[in-house]
Amino acid sequence: MADEVAETKLRILREAIRSNIEVVRPDRVKPKESLKRTPLVWLWGSLLIAGVSYLAIPSLVVSRGKEPSSSAAILEARNASSSASQTPGTAAALPVPSGINRSVLPLSVKRIIIDPGHGGKQHGAISESGVSEKDITLDIALRLRRLMENAPFEVIMTRETDDTLSLEKRVAFANANNADLFVSIHVNWMEPREVRPLETYYVGASDDPAVIKLASIENRDSGYALADYRRMLEKIYFDARRDESHRLAKTINAELYQSLSQINPELENRGVKMAPFAVLIGTQMPAVLAEVSCLSNEDDVKLLTNPDYREKIAQALLRGLRSYATSLNGSEKKGS
Amino acid sequence: MEETNETLCIGIDLGTSRSSISASNGERHVVDSYVGWPVDMVARKLVKKTVLVGREALDHRVMLDLRRPLERGVIKEGSAKDEEAVQELLRHLISLVGIKQKSKNRGKVRAVVGVPAEAFRESRQRLRGAMDGVADSVMLVSEPFAVAYGLEALLHAMIIDIGAGTADFCVMQGRYPTEADQRTLPNAGDSIDERLFKLMHEHHPEAQISIHLIRDWKEKWSFVGEPKSRVTVSVPAKGKATEFDITDEMRAACESILPPISETMIDLLSRVEPEYQEQVRNNIILAGGTSLIAGLPDAIEKACAELGGGRVTVVKDPIFAGSDGGLAIARDASAADWEKLSL
Repeated sequence: MADEVAETKLRILREAIRSNIEVVRPDRVKPKESLKRTPLVWLWGSLLIAGVSYLAIPSLVVSRGKEPSSSAAILEARNASSSASQTPGTAAALPVPSGINRSVLPLSVKRIIIDPGHGGKQHGAISESGVSEKDITLDIALRLRRLMENAPFEVIMTRETDDTLSLEKRVAFANANNADLFVSIHVNWMEPREVRPLETYYVGASDDPAVIKLASIENRDSGYALADYRRMLEKIYFDARRDESHRLAKTINAELYQSLSQINPELENRGVKMAPFAVLIGTQMPAVLAEVSCLSNEDDVKLLTNPDYREKIAQALLRGLRSYATSLNGSEKKGS
Repeated sequence: MEETNETLCIGIDLGTSRSSISASNGERHVVDSYVGWPVDMVARKLVKKTVLVGREALDHRVMLDLRRPLERGVIKEGSAKDEEAVQELLRHLISLVGIKQKSKNRGKVRAVVGVPAEAFRESRQRLRGAMDGVADSVMLVSEPFAVAYGLEALLHAMIIDIGAGTADFCVMQGRYPTEADQRTLPNAGDSIDERLFKLMHEHHPEAQISIHLIRDWKEKWSFVGEPKSRVTVSVPAKGKATEFDITDEMRAACESILPPISETMIDLLSRVEPEYQEQVRNNIILAGGTSLIAGLPDAIEKACAELGGGRVTVVKDPIFAGSDGGLAIARDASAADWEKLSL
């Protein structure tokens, strides 16, 4: 008995230490997620460009209007980033953007953008048995839209067919439509293949070692040190939008886990995480990206090819959206 | 106590209301989680310090820019002053166990810091940054987990750590708890204070009270259910000392946290594998300063009755349960692990 307790303590202690190491020293642990996930490399490259561009465009940061000096400093920083003679140390002089006032956020949810990940030439992750992420995400999104016909939300989809659509266009589409929420649906692919994770992302600097490592490679020539880039992101997203995105992510993730774990007991709830995905950085409303299953695991693939399972996912997403909307003001309002 | 050049392990419970520290040299201390800076030259001359921490800060609050840096269970985002306050609080705690920061003979300090679950999720990087220069290596854990580890309640147990800012729930199922195993509620000691303050204004508008006074009353006389005796306080009313019976207000304020705590507990229990639910129900452990409310374990056991009954106990030492747990973790981690967690 004493041995069992000691063994349990040791195992839990190891997990606690590993969790800490992953958070604080991402460079010291071997990433769990394969960096050879080539279909996603373009995505990370894009998001880093989008992230740095976002930092360099003062008009996108609502509260900067009151701080003309910040805008000037940001432009200086942009110039600095394009100068080959500048060192990453220059970024230390970057401005600290102030937070966004919560009052700029909607108090009710009227219009929701559903974004099925990938599409057209961009397959996203592909399972060994040939199931493409783009097909799964579109199917779930269409189901979600159908379920929402009776919900008091106006639903708009970034794509309704198998079309290629850049991340930039998805972001612009969401912003142009003045949506209140943005939900991007994705399916994960991860090593080792036994894992069956569920995770939901909202915008912010990432603590994920795989993301950090890749970001540092992609960001090498930006003129900023990675630490500066992370700090800038952290400062910018001190705003209410991030808080609301976090709440939305928590609600959706909880509903997904509660629903799917009943069918899929092996599902591992990795919870809510921050990450600088391009669609989360550029959108101007609370936004989340849900990785609803994992195409690297063939058991998950079997479930995903079952329409009932995809319907369950759509239902859980709807419950999450409803629950979030209700929590805002106690009622949901149909969009005009 | 004299510091040595040997390695010192410490556990810190960084709470919203009180913070405690337990060290491997046997030292244990608790301080109020307040930090204050004199507001002007006059105040600086009077308090004769550049920064005050704990009860001293609270006692001199009228002269200070007073901060309670983890007020709602997280370091307030965007507030450099609150981040600084966390660092001052940590420095103060460390100094209490005999560590002099600038001493050349100072040994290595390995710290496990237990923080409210929400701060653990939201403020890990900032908390770690606050420990820079305070310790050599740092591990951050959620408070209920630190309590569970210290008590070796690692399997089929539920820890409910009711502090000032938050009530943190954690089900231990023989593994490091994930988000699904944990919940955080804002209904804790502070919400009782706010409720009591409001009730006093409604029922005794003539009484001149402050939130600090309310907090002191709660710590002395809080209860749920039947009181052991009537609760009477003496406060000024129109400048004259006057006695008020606040028994009903105290009960109503304290009982206001029961429904959300019971609901959350039942929700978490219902997510435990069916065959283990009874074991968890019979191993519910209350920790944190607010768990000292008289009658609270009985009230929570009553809530369990509808599920088939349960057993609720309060940790023997709610003030130090978190820091003692942190110290146990610090001692159990290997030197190689600590090397990986160096600042």
